[in-house]
Amino acid sequence: MSPARNDPKHVTGADRIPPAGETLPRLTIALQVADILRSLGYPREATPPARVVRSTEKILAEARPWLQPRGTYSLYAVTRQTAHSLEIGGATIAGNIGEFLHGADRIAVFMVTAGSEITRRAEACSRAGDAFAGLALDAIGSWAAEAAAEALMEQLNSQLRPGESFTMRYSPGYCGMNLRQQRTLFKLAPAKSVGISLLPSLLMQPLKSISGIVGLGPREIVGIHLSPCERCPQVGCHMRR
Amino acid sequence: MADFSQLREAVLTGNAPAAVAAARQALDAGVDPVELVNQAISPAMEEVGRLYEAGEYFVPELLLAARATKEVFQLIRPLLAQKDIPPAARVVLGTVQGDLHDIGKNLVGAMLEGGGFEVIDLGVNVPPEKFILAVEEKQAQIVGLSALLTTTMPAMKKTLDVFRTAGIRGRIKVMIGGAPITQSYADSIGADAYGENAAAAVAIARKLAGR
Ligand code: B12
Repeated sequence: MSPARNDPKHVTGADRIPPAGETLPRLTIALQVADILRSLGYPREATPPARVVRSTEKILAEARPWLQPRGTYSLYAVTRQTAHSLEIGGATIAGNIGEFLHGADRIAVFMVTAGSEITRRAEACSRAGDAFAGLALDAIGSWAAEAAAEALMEQLNSQLRPGESFTMRYSPGYCGMNLRQQRTLFKLAPAKSVGISLLPSLLMQPLKSISGIVGLGPREIVGIHLSPCERCPQVGCHMRR
Repeated sequence: MADFSQLREAVLTGNAPAAVAAARQALDAGVDPVELVNQAISPAMEEVGRLYEAGEYFVPELLLAARATKEVFQLIRPLLAQKDIPPAARVVLGTVQGDLHDIGKNLVGAMLEGGGFEVIDLGVNVPPEKFILAVEEKQAQIVGLSALLTTTMPAMKKTLDVFRTAGIRGRIKVMIGGAPITQSYADSIGADAYGENAAAAVAIARKLAGR
């Protein structure tokens, strides 16, 4: 095991499960033009103009090397769980815990990012007056962050025991988990190892980053869940699934 | 009256080179630039907005149309200036302090430019004082504030408070927007308007500018 497999110093709890955490320096993500078109606002059933499709294809091809999908997670045993709070690694996380993490006996605290290069490029395009390319690159960055989270989940598969599965993913800022919980998550996972930092406004840098928790537990208890969008009040959201 | 169908079509399909060519042709033929704006550009952009509201156009089409009109405006702005006709209004735009989210604001800026506004984009993480400097320096009539998260939203209130203390609040109209913003939040901090998206921002800016 390389020393880069970090063990964040501020986490001392004995309930941290070995392998305690894993830093994934290069996640493999798959990005399709169709996904980006969805992020640009086209619903699945819409037919975007050929010109838009062509430019999006071109921009995506160019943007691939600018994506640096990375992620990290730390795994903890649940020491206490109620409907609205979760205790792991000596820290307490508040939110709609019961609804999202019911039945989990272990929790992975994760952080993923698409890196900052893509945002730099998007900004440069917008500043140069090419609002469409700026928007497309921004959408590619958002999608890459989402894809990085999916790829991290794939890696987490190795932590599942026979008969187990995941709960829904749950992130600060969503559905009853206050953004303040970001501070706790940043204590529990080695965000720095993948270059993510938390600003005083609780915004993560790079912008195209996602933090969250996901539970692992017996399939018959944790396995049944709806899309998280079912619980979200942003009904007009173009990313609604 | 001149036939503007080509120009309107070029704007509707977001074809900037065709729009500029059609505009140049009309101007060369002696068409008044004001008439060109009122008879062709504005109605075409209004139609684009309608198509967007109706779900037939999506944001990329909006941007392409806005880009076409922006280029036409670049052609006619000097002519309008010669006649002492000012731009629709000057809008100072920025993402509030503590927030780094760029893209929503950029779309709003692009659409406003397509609507004939002069946009001064201050970028992201903009402190209130920087907004004030830009308002003073550019004699702007409208300020647009953007924020992404509930935790950066309070900087909007702070920005408005600083505007009041600095004594410029009465001179400007303030519109706000961003994913977590709502009309009731706008009301609660005393903003003049809330815009749900970039297309709405143009209509609102027109109203705020009294046009
Ligand atoms: C794509 C997306 C992401 C992407 C990219 C984020 C980014 N900033 O680049 C990813 C996946 C990385 C992400 C991450 C996160 N996200 Co997010 N994300 C979104 C999503 C789906 C779309 C945002 C977007 O890019 N829209 C496209 C742009 C063009 O739209 P826009 O910025 O809103 O701007 C438009 C309007 O708002 C308006 N407008 C904007 N500014 C202005 C200004 C004026 C003057 C006017 C008139 C109008 C106006 O016009 C614009 C154009 O139409 C929204 C939900 C939503 N539907 O809005 C959530 C959302 C913003 N995210 C949210 C959250 C919680 C997060 C995370 C904190 C989750 C986490 N813990 O990891 C992180 C934070 C990231 C960070 N850096 O800190 C919440 C924020 C709620 C809150 N509590 O504050 C939202 C609202 C989702 C939700 N359902 O609650 N996110």
